[in-house]
Amino acid sequence: MLPLILAILTKGDGDLLVRLQRRDPQALAELYDRYGRMVFGLILRMVQDRGTAEDLVQETFLRVWNRVGGFDAEHGAVGPWLLAVARNRAIDYLRYRGRRPEAALELNESENPALFADLKSDPLRFDTVRQVKTALEKLPAPQREAIELAYFEGMSQTEIAERLRQPLGTVKSWMRRALLQMREELGGGVPA
Amino acid sequence: MTCDELRPDYVLYAMGVLEDPEKTELRAHLDRGCETCVAGIREAREFSSSVGASADGPEPSRQLRNRVLAVAGTVSQPNWHWRTAWQAAAVVALLAIGVIVYQNQETTAAIAEARQQLKQSNLEAASLRSALALLQTPETREVTFGQGAPAPPRGRIFFNPASILLIASNLPAPPAGKAYEMWIIRGGRPTPAGLFASTAQGTALHVYTPTDFVLATDTVAVTLEIAAGVDAPTSTPVIAVQL
Repeated sequence: MLPLILAILTKGDGDLLVRLQRRDPQALAELYDRYGRMVFGLILRMVQDRGTAEDLVQETFLRVWNRVGGFDAEHGAVGPWLLAVARNRAIDYLRYRGRRPEAALELNESENPALFADLKSDPLRFDTVRQVKTALEKLPAPQREAIELAYFEGMSQTEIAERLRQPLGTVKSWMRRALLQMREELGGGVPA
Repeated sequence: MTCDELRPDYVLYAMGVLEDPEKTELRAHLDRGCETCVAGIREAREFSSSVGASADGPEPSRQLRNRVLAVAGTVSQPNWHWRTAWQAAAVVALLAIGVIVYQNQETTAAIAEARQQLKQSNLEAASLRSALALLQTPETREVTFGQGAPAPPRGRIFFNPASILLIASNLPAPPAGKAYEMWIIRGGRPTPAGLFASTAQGTALHVYTPTDFVLATDTVAVTLEIAAGVDAPTSTPVIAVQL
């Protein structure tokens, strides 16, 4: 048991990606063991229903399994890609459930595997994620809510302004200030 | 629009929620290979991923793993929690000992071996529990080592004010009579930080809880020493990581 756990903890994603592309069933199991809880946590945060979240997790992994052939195994970061696919599945669901228009958002484009090559750092690192979470929690409530509506509900600034009943300019100002504060909090790493 | 004017929109673009006219402007920069905007969007994408990963929540059901694997046409396997797995392993080992004693068909050596295995399992379980506790501590930070070298030991060190966790791969099993010894180095002075061995697969996990403050440590190193351990390193470190 220990060697298996250590193997999962120490191997990089490159080897896993190669085996996924070879349609190795065990690789899919490892992918789930590595990222399943993270994907479930994100989707549950977005849709707020366990049953729906599990359906969407299943859909996410199936989509990745079917599209992994187009991924750059040497330079790609499968974890961030998986999260992007998961987020898009959840946003699709929220839009369908809320009868919100699809709008001109770039969701499908945002999960293009090519966008997840050559990332300079690992954004899913333990301490990086914790720092981002802490920085988010420190934001004033309206600013945090605007950022969360954009990320966790896939809302444009126009939609956020409508939801919060604020002028569009105010929402844009909140979000800009939020990103600046997070940049200061994190010592860079946030374009603002 | 200039890159500076577009910079605040990088994160919204990476999240897929940027609207016109900024979206069209930014896309034009990207289409012509604007290095500033390409780098900014990459950074924004990393940030966006971190936001997504920050949404932690409860465990999914155990059936979900099987559902995921089944849909992909793969063989389903039970998703054991580590603790459960170790408890089960301990129960199996105890039962094995009981059967051996009851039937009186095995030698004392076999019983001793089973006991040794159980002891080893318990030690490993304790080590894993310590590792999990450390990983769940908010102050824990992480350093990666060995990336990029041809065939190095590589892995990660997690540390917080109370503990240090080393997880390594590509670390050959020590020869008979030898063990790996971890050192914490402060101001150039090494202090022993425990003995450990790697598995046949070259993986290792070692947790050290010092009596004083971890964050005063400059460097964590690992050397190959005699199995009983030594007071000061006698060989070149196989791992040396600055914290």
